[in-house]
Amino acid sequence: MSSMQFGIFTVGDVTPDPTTGTTPTEGERIQAMLSYALKAEEVGLDVFATGEHHNPPFVPSSPTTMLGWIAAQTQRLLLTTTTTLITTNDPVKIAEDFAMLQHVSGGRVDLTLGRGNTGPVYPWFGKDIRDGIELAVENYALLRKLWREPVVNWAGKHRTPLQGYTSTPAPLDGVPPFVWHGSIRSPQIAEQAAFYGDGFFHNNIFWNKEHTEQMVKLYRQRFAHHGHGDPEQAIVGLGGQVYMAATKAQAMKEFRPYFDVAPVYGHGPSLEDFSEMTPLTVGTPEEVIERTLGFRDYAGDYQRQLFLIDHAGLPQEAVLEQIEILGTEVVPVLRQEFDRLRAPGVPDAPTHASLLAAAGAGEAAGSEREERDDVDTAAAIAPEARR
Amino acid sequence: MRIAIIAAGLSEPSSTRLLADRLEKATRTALQNQGTAVESTTIEVRTLAHDVVDVLLTRVASPELEAARQQVQDADALIVVSPTFTMSYSGLFKSFIDVLEDGSLAGMPVLLAATGGTARHSMVLDVALRPLLSYLKALTLPTAVYASAEDWGSPGLDARIEKAGRELADVLVALPRRTRSDPFDADSPDFVSFESMLGGS
Repeated sequence: MSSMQFGIFTVGDVTPDPTTGTTPTEGERIQAMLSYALKAEEVGLDVFATGEHHNPPFVPSSPTTMLGWIAAQTQRLLLTTTTTLITTNDPVKIAEDFAMLQHVSGGRVDLTLGRGNTGPVYPWFGKDIRDGIELAVENYALLRKLWREPVVNWAGKHRTPLQGYTSTPAPLDGVPPFVWHGSIRSPQIAEQAAFYGDGFFHNNIFWNKEHTEQMVKLYRQRFAHHGHGDPEQAIVGLGGQVYMAATKAQAMKEFRPYFDVAPVYGHGPSLEDFSEMTPLTVGTPEEVIERTLGFRDYAGDYQRQLFLIDHAGLPQEAVLEQIEILGTEVVPVLRQEFDRLRAPGVPDAPTHASLLAAAGAGEAAGSEREERDDVDTAAAIAPEARR
Repeated sequence: MRIAIIAAGLSEPSSTRLLADRLEKATRTALQNQGTAVESTTIEVRTLAHDVVDVLLTRVASPELEAARQQVQDADALIVVSPTFTMSYSGLFKSFIDVLEDGSLAGMPVLLAATGGTARHSMVLDVALRPLLSYLKALTLPTAVYASAEDWGSPGLDARIEKAGRELADVLVALPRRTRSDPFDADSPDFVSFESMLGGS
């Protein structure tokens, strides 16, 4: 693996194929998504990510179940989420599910936290969307504590208190999974990622790239402010959306029927305008390479690049072909070019091995990092528990 | 002083734009008489109509619409002029207002104006435009201007335009300059640090 990780992320929508009128069943869609993960490993991609949704037409409601199956079928693929809902999931269950997945996968897991923007999901899970930021802050602080302290006493506003609770299994090798925080345009989440020195992921699709630029810039600046290193040492992940064929004209012709009626952006701007205004690239592999390399012009040197390639009703064989092109023609060049362009001192993408090594080094040096964690969780989250 | 004018007429040329231009000139003259230089920019919503629909459907803003949003955000005052449609401001005018960033109009002095076929619709100013702008926390000026078709042949319209322009100028000169907030600027008072988020939860 190079210093950057490349992969695919799926939203998991069940959408009719507008060219045939056929809609896959949930089962077919799920099997297709699993096949994309296996294909990703086969062609040498590094990461597979699934979304989490609790409403039709989306199928991935249970990401760790899905990722657990993929873990069993793969050897080196990293498994992650885009995103895990830190607002409506119980952080206690997130701590357990992802620690288990860490063990099952041999450390091939991290997760990206997001708030979710589907209004009704909040009340369905007993929450209020207006508390979104507050839930993200409180729940994540608890999640950290559960992964770092063997016995947790905790009281907060949004779930029942914990007394003498131990989250099992403990994280693999005592090292919690790496956490990315994802948000399109909430500065509070860029600030949260920066405060903890965690990663920041911007989905970088469907929206003007200016949002990505603004959020990444703030995150880098605050990462330095909170004492984790230089802005360039912050850990940034980006999404992107591509469709490729041998010529640009062919790619446009094939993708346009899907684009025109796609969920989210269909019936809106033309494919040409949307490609101009957002990071969507429909064209040759060379054009995708050039556009993707251009992301570093506004995001700086970054650690993870995920592509969305399987939504809007695209059939399985077309998606598998896109993954093949990514793995054989696009990513090898991107690895080489990004590495060549990368400034010295920019950290590699985090893995379980790198976190384990850093934790070992931290212990040897008296672990300032752990003391910091004690201060932020104890001081901010559980004043009652200390009394 | 930066003034943004939102003109939501649908035809070209439109009486809505004509009224907007007259209000701009009256305000400019009144401000200049008090020694204040004016920079103004007129947003013809008609030219952004497709962009407005696109951003409503997809949240993706064209560069032209983004520039218009920025002009509104950066203005010291607004002049808004809508045609009257079916008892209210036009749908396109409302859609443009809907796609402005939250808080864009808070504390913004706004001169309200509308055009319509007959004077019977002039209440649109106070029953539609004023509550909308009040909801957005704008400072709506007491004098609002309505121009019906017949007003374009009456000297009374000029006097109302001048009065409204003077009023906006007086308010602008008297008020402290509007501060612009940027939640992405860690040095701005609107930035929320993580320590304060933790403290508040």
